[in-house]
Amino acid sequence: MRLLLVEDEIDIQGFLRRSLQEAGYEVEVAPDAKTAEQLAVESQFDILVVDLGLPDRDGISLILRLRELGLRAPVLILSARRSVDDRVRGLEQGGDDYLTKPFALAELLARLRNLLKRNSPQASEATRLRVLDLELDLLRREATRSGQALQLTQQEFVLLEYLCRNAGRVVTRSMILDQVWGMRIQPDTNVVDVHIYRLRGKVDGAGQQPLIRTMRGVGYVLKDR
Amino acid sequence: MSLKTVKPPLRSAAWRISLWATLAFACGTMVVFVFLQSFVAGDIQRRSDAWLSGEVEVLGDVAERTPNDALYGRVVGEVAELAAREVPNKLASGSGTSDSVFFLQSGIDGSLKLWVGAGSGQDHLKAIFSAEIPPEHPSDVRVPGFSVPFRVACLRIGDGSHIYLGLSERDELRVLRSLRVRFFLLWLLIVLLGFSIVFLTTRRMLRHVRSITEAASRIGHSDLTARVPTTKRNDEVSQLAHTLNRMLDRIESSMHQLHTITDALAHDLRSPLTAIRGKLEMSLAAMNGEETAEPIVSAIEELDQLTDFLNKSLDVAEARADALRLTVTEIDMSQLLQTMVDLYEPSMTEKGLHIRLSNEKGIIVVGDEGLVHRMIANLLDNELKHLVSASSVSISLQCRDETAYLVFEDDGNGFEPDVLEHLFIRRVKGKTSDGHGLGLAFVDAVARAHGGTVEVMNRDAGGGRIAVSMPLAPEKRHHQMAATAQAG
Repeated sequence: MRLLLVEDEIDIQGFLRRSLQEAGYEVEVAPDAKTAEQLAVESQFDILVVDLGLPDRDGISLILRLRELGLRAPVLILSARRSVDDRVRGLEQGGDDYLTKPFALAELLARLRNLLKRNSPQASEATRLRVLDLELDLLRREATRSGQALQLTQQEFVLLEYLCRNAGRVVTRSMILDQVWGMRIQPDTNVVDVHIYRLRGKVDGAGQQPLIRTMRGVGYVLKDR
Repeated sequence: MSLKTVKPPLRSAAWRISLWATLAFACGTMVVFVFLQSFVAGDIQRRSDAWLSGEVEVLGDVAERTPNDALYGRVVGEVAELAAREVPNKLASGSGTSDSVFFLQSGIDGSLKLWVGAGSGQDHLKAIFSAEIPPEHPSDVRVPGFSVPFRVACLRIGDGSHIYLGLSERDELRVLRSLRVRFFLLWLLIVLLGFSIVFLTTRRMLRHVRSITEAASRIGHSDLTARVPTTKRNDEVSQLAHTLNRMLDRIESSMHQLHTITDALAHDLRSPLTAIRGKLEMSLAAMNGEETAEPIVSAIEELDQLTDFLNKSLDVAEARADALRLTVTEIDMSQLLQTMVDLYEPSMTEKGLHIRLSNEKGIIVVGDEGLVHRMIANLLDNELKHLVSASSVSISLQCRDETAYLVFEDDGNGFEPDVLEHLFIRRVKGKTSDGHGLGLAFVDAVARAHGGTVEVMNRDAGGGRIAVSMPLAPEKRHHQMAATAQAG
């Protein structure tokens, strides 16, 4: 996957490039809009990460300009601004996504994956999810572990489904809040942890290999190995 | 522009202004006229006095020179009659010798020696004697049988007899009366005309003022782009509109300034935070779950708290300046509250709190989704953090009078009295609270930005009560937004 990172802050540029490369992306970096335009015209990219505050031009006008030039790849907008611009909302409706700084790396990667998935023609949605000995029937909303049915509430099922879809990858608390509850909030309290704790009590029974792992400071991961 | 409420004209300011203006105008013109009339009256009198004095002298001269024979009466009489034809101020009348002038000569013994005029002259003679006319200048004499007094000039001639020339003031008064009548009609016309002009002008002007007021009141807290209507005329009202617009320009620009500052502050803090967080995460990943990772983990957690604090501080700062930026959509409060309570319920149960929800269905408000989500999360966080085990909290959402009321009641310790007073001022918090003291200030800020209110009190039965009110989504705006959404 070829990724174009448009970001002027050297510090952020550095860690993003490394992290994205570790995540398997082939990363090109442009420190300003001019270079970005050049690179985008010269070669093909599968996805772009664009910071809004560029030294020579506004990130949004760069994206619009690239779209004019025929860019089809999805864009993840990084913003350090406080309010979400109407134009960002417009782009969001057009299939792009945005992320407010500072962000968790896991969330950045998850959003990139989502954008790529959305943009690629995909096979019909699976009706069953399987992670090791955990199995989810999405149609009947039933979950089993080692063939034994789990008594999950509707909400717990949705949470587990989200973890399964991201099995082996870290999901943060704000990602869970966004994807499972549909809200971008930052609670002062451990509300998500308690949900995970309850879910873990049902999924990881006594004597079984614990599947849901807490990555402190980062989030949670459903083990797939 | 059509006005929704048109006041009855009798109670409008335009009516009062024109009434007073007309009254002042009418009184003023009346005073001017009285002066003018007395001047004209005096002038007419002076002219007739001058004529009388002149004529009486001529007649005296004639009477003296004419030999006192049989023809005397006829000669002097002729001259007197000729003089009578040149009466000043005389209105056209058919009769040759009118009763407006008389000539009278009295003998030394006081008998009537010569009479020219209507009637016998005896009455006139009597009246003249009783009036005792001074010889120097003419004066008024009232003659019985005549409603109007005569102006009589007197001259003593050589033979010791007196001659009198009298002129009725009837014509003079008639002139003055006709002057008054004409003036009054004209005055009435002008006053009516003036009244209607003043009324119409002020009404038009005040209507403009009202349209400015209405437009200004429509310019809400967050929408500062609208302006009041202006006209090309450079009068006071248009100046008012221009001044208002300039003021709005300034407010908008200072608000813009505030946004620029908070944005710049956010940007300048967020960029290094992003870099720090990224680097911490990379070191964490490199450690691969080792025990030594603990400091990094807590650093990341503290960094996230710092970010959250920064966001809330800036939001509260903007909200206190009524400068929160809203991106409004329709929010189903009932559904949102249910989801939120579902999210928080396990944490509350875990802490030993009982939660009761009474949720009215289908309550929809117009607001900024992100802010309203965070507001409710703050309220729930507040309960979760401050209530002790085995307390219970009841949450209710209901709608009354076009307003949604979200009420949180608990049976905990309530608010400390000194905190209660300053709860919405940022950074005020109870001694036992471990938060930033921004929570309820933020709730208040969001509610206010949406045209709502927050009330906090301690319940009589013990515990705290927080009531948030927010206006319901008006049907009109509902349609408008649907239209814009389709257009966009």
